[in-house]
Amino acid sequence: MIKIYRNFTAYFIFVIPALLLYITFYLTPLFNSLHYSVTSWNGINEPVFNGFDNFAKALTDEKFWVAFKNNLYFVAFSVFVQIPLIIVISIMVSSVKRFLGFYKLTVFLPSILSTASVAIIWKFIFAPEAGLLNQLLKGIGLESWTHIWLGDKSVAFLAVLVTNAWQWTGFYIVLVLAGIFAIPKEIMEAGEIDGAVGWRKAWSLTIPLIRPVIGVTLLLSVTGAMKALDTVLIMTKGGPFGSTELMATYMYKQAYSLSDFGYANAISIVITIFTALLSLFLTFFNNKSKEVSY
Amino acid sequence: MPTKTKPKRRILSHVVLGVYVLTVLYPLWFVLVASMKNNTELFNDPWGLPHQLDFTNYIHVLSNSPIWKNFMNSAIVGLVATFSTILLSTAIAYAVTRMKFKVLNKLVYGLLLISLLIPPASLLIPLYIMIKDFGLYNSHLALILPYTSFGIPLSVFIISAFLKSIPLELEEAGVMDGLSTYGILGRIIIPLTMPTLVTVFILNFINNWNEYILASLFLSSQELRTMPVAIVAFADKYNFNYGAMTASIVLSVVPVMIMYAFFQRSIIEGVTAGSVKG
Repeated sequence: MIKIYRNFTAYFIFVIPALLLYITFYLTPLFNSLHYSVTSWNGINEPVFNGFDNFAKALTDEKFWVAFKNNLYFVAFSVFVQIPLIIVISIMVSSVKRFLGFYKLTVFLPSILSTASVAIIWKFIFAPEAGLLNQLLKGIGLESWTHIWLGDKSVAFLAVLVTNAWQWTGFYIVLVLAGIFAIPKEIMEAGEIDGAVGWRKAWSLTIPLIRPVIGVTLLLSVTGAMKALDTVLIMTKGGPFGSTELMATYMYKQAYSLSDFGYANAISIVITIFTALLSLFLTFFNNKSKEVSY
Repeated sequence: MPTKTKPKRRILSHVVLGVYVLTVLYPLWFVLVASMKNNTELFNDPWGLPHQLDFTNYIHVLSNSPIWKNFMNSAIVGLVATFSTILLSTAIAYAVTRMKFKVLNKLVYGLLLISLLIPPASLLIPLYIMIKDFGLYNSHLALILPYTSFGIPLSVFIISAFLKSIPLELEEAGVMDGLSTYGILGRIIIPLTMPTLVTVFILNFINNWNEYILASLFLSSQELRTMPVAIVAFADKYNFNYGAMTASIVLSVVPVMIMYAFFQRSIIEGVTAGSVKG
């Protein structure tokens, strides 16, 4: 047994191909990015070292700050709107017996669709004339509420947030639901005997017990803003007037529209640091609150 | 588990959930209905069913765009990348969980864990430069290699978690029968891990099938495009031909829906297991 598992040739054969690919296409780009971020480079000529100029540029670049703030709004929306909604709906789903499977199946559906399809579907819903939303508002006599949703800088970002929420809320519900069903039956029954029913039960029993899975949900939905790059590019391209710009879309534009690869890489480093810090903070927070034992 | 929910409250739950389900399904239904209408009908009667089952829009899309080619491209890229991910991840997960190289195992696992801190969006530009340097730009390998690599960490985590739950006795019996390290992997580990591998397969395949941003940047010729890129291009081109646009959306969504219909349990389990561990 031991001998079989000390076969170094076999180990080498098993580990190297995967590791090589992973290092080449996952870790190396990150290091390259660090390197390019301290250069001035148009993508064609040789990169020229310019120290921290790109990062200094970001500090004074108003458009970058708009994008940065939008990322923060995205996070705030997840934490204060989406997550509470997810928890309430999950608890509701867990309390019904009929249609449980049906609810689970349908709410999960949007998260397996491609972001590209979802973005186009919602672009169509928000379309000024034929769009579902405006037609609906006209239909129920709220014509004054209609907007050119994606062309109006006061509502465009909200439209993007709603699209993203439509795609992912069900996914998190299923996640939280798994957490709720993992709670041992006896605990819930003991709680009920002690008089915890309905929303009191949810508040004082269920929610504290599923805190770990809420933590994971928080982590995933907060970093979700970083993945919303394609939704924004397809729906609004960051417009109108930068109102839907995210750090990632801004980075994209710096590279592909303006050929400022040095600056684009600096922004990508900022994105990495921003996400890593948020993740580490939330993980730390999760571990502190993990003293849940059944 | 819920034993004492009052009927009134239960009705309220159903109402709220019903509204939520409607907001999920109605947009999809609306798209499906729109794909069978022409613009005039769509404007005059947005809510009603189409007057007849009219597939003109579909015929138009299928004959005026290389969407069938795009479909095949997605399938090829998705399958090759997914199979590679599974093969490589199983091998590395087996080595790391079973073989006796403690320090190396920790190192390998640690390297894979770094991926959890890196948002894929931040790799976009350096990856693009790398693909160009390697001369892979505008070839399917430009997608297959990154997709394969992106799938590895999570797949390794899920497979390793499962492998740890297999008792060692089975492998010991294999050793008695004279199997080599490779034999144990092929004859014992892989058959036992099959259900998990199916889940990991579906998980990766859906990701690859749906991927948009790399596919839109690393390929330039229409012939090579994958589905998500093709439908976005199509939506731009047919900005005001809503029928054609919605028909192409339906065409791109149907394969994933079929997969979902067949493998819903594996998909839900896989996705949730993946993210709980990630």
